[in-house]
Amino acid sequence: MVNDAGQLYTMEGVAAGVIMLLAAYIVVSTTSIYTTGDTHIPDMQLEQLGSDVLAMMDTPDTNGTTSALETFVSTNNGTGFNSTFLSYCNATTRGTLDNLHMSANITYRDANANKINEYPFVAPDNTWTGRESAVRATRWVQLPKLSPKPVGMPGDMRTDPQAVLVEVLLWRA
Amino acid sequence: MADDGVLSLDFLAGFTIFMLALVMVLSMVPGLLAGLESSGIDYDAVAYRTGVILVEDPGWPAYPPWELYDRDNKEEIQRMGLAVSKETPNILLSTKVERFFEESFFTSEDYRSKVIFGDIPYSYNISLRSLDETYNYNTGDPLPPGYGYIRRVVKIKEPGVAEIKSPGPEYVIPDPSAPEWNSTARNFTVRLNFSQLLDPGRGPAYRIDPRTEPVNITITNFGEYRNITGPSVNATLHNVTFWKMDPTRPNPRFTRIPFSYDTIDANLYTLHINGTADQHSLQPDVPVDSSISLVLKPAATSLFTLDQNSILDIRFNFEDDPPRTNITGTHPYDYTNVSHAGLKTAVLEVAIW
Repeated sequence: MVNDAGQLYTMEGVAAGVIMLLAAYIVVSTTSIYTTGDTHIPDMQLEQLGSDVLAMMDTPDTNGTTSALETFVSTNNGTGFNSTFLSYCNATTRGTLDNLHMSANITYRDANANKINEYPFVAPDNTWTGRESAVRATRWVQLPKLSPKPVGMPGDMRTDPQAVLVEVLLWRA
Repeated sequence: MADDGVLSLDFLAGFTIFMLALVMVLSMVPGLLAGLESSGIDYDAVAYRTGVILVEDPGWPAYPPWELYDRDNKEEIQRMGLAVSKETPNILLSTKVERFFEESFFTSEDYRSKVIFGDIPYSYNISLRSLDETYNYNTGDPLPPGYGYIRRVVKIKEPGVAEIKSPGPEYVIPDPSAPEWNSTARNFTVRLNFSQLLDPGRGPAYRIDPRTEPVNITITNFGEYRNITGPSVNATLHNVTFWKMDPTRPNPRFTRIPFSYDTIDANLYTLHINGTADQHSLQPDVPVDSSISLVLKPAATSLFTLDQNSILDIRFNFEDDPPRTNITGTHPYDYTNVSHAGLKTAVLEVAIW
């Protein structure tokens, strides 16, 4: 005796299965998720820009002169550094200004205590909350003999010729 | 006979079709994951690559440099980079910049095949602007939403100018009545010693290289060289000629370089006299009242077959009977006499979509 107990209603089952699979396929394939792998691109663009700006500030405009970067660091002129850095960074070819902000630290070696120390060169402005996706750009700067040592430089920083590391944090507000 | 444990044929058929569909969908999983990457990634990468080629590469061919190729030989250009040299990333050469943005010379296809590259015909917008706005170039299409982008900060190197402002004692004949000055010709020479100019001790960003940059010579206050005072006695510039010498050869001597001296060609040189906009050939035969301005383009110097040891003389010849100018001597075109404006900071943007 054949009855319909335990059987699938075949055509309906197949149709429902195909529809479900198709729906799942369409949903998954049309979803574009901004993965963590993509976030490095704006970061890379910002890092490249920061690195370019430091390199260009470290290039003298005429042969045999001192670069702007070396002058700012050796005279401890954080205001001038901030202003020049941001003017290079925010310039666009359309003439409008981008909205980038920065802070900077300088790392040096204290020869007496044989320690690596750092001091703030440019303090962050009021757009800094600590949650920004900031990137870092660095450049070694060779300083001449500091005579006399500019006001505001740490007391344990040497005055003889030395290399210091300028570290800039750059973020878009 | 009991039917316990027996599957129906209908169920088997349905289950088989379901399994086949499942296998098919699973085989598409790699394709499904492709949807997880954003479409901007590729454009950003192409924009970055294009930016690197433009600001870190001098282009190819390197010598003679690609920017000197004329329309007939444009196809020989392999790659258009704007850097002064590969040792000086981000320092661009003004002559390369000016040629690159010459839209009447390069087509969209040239930009795609010589700087953007890739199999896909990308749309692009490349722009450059200096902070002092002396450079403001743009090529390509208007920007749509969602494009790949890179911005680079650069400096632009410009050619120097040798300006001979007023007569120093070394450029004036002290006693025109002396017998050695009885000729009707007066010659004034500007000398380019390539071994000094191309000294490797000087960085490429600050080097005077007449093979890639124009040579600018300006003689001002020419009236102060007059032999006779009076309003109508201006000396006549008969011709300007080019002479070269290779000191490394035995018995070196200056030889006149064959050149189309009588043809006006702004791609090779420009000669302006008395501050007017009129262009003259190198055989002008015109009276000089106030100034002479000669710009010798690298396209011309590349025809002179000069090397790093050559000496190039640019000779200004004045012919009058009796002579109307006391100008004489040789003015070195060197790092002392040539003034440079300094590198100019600029921003270069590349957008690709």
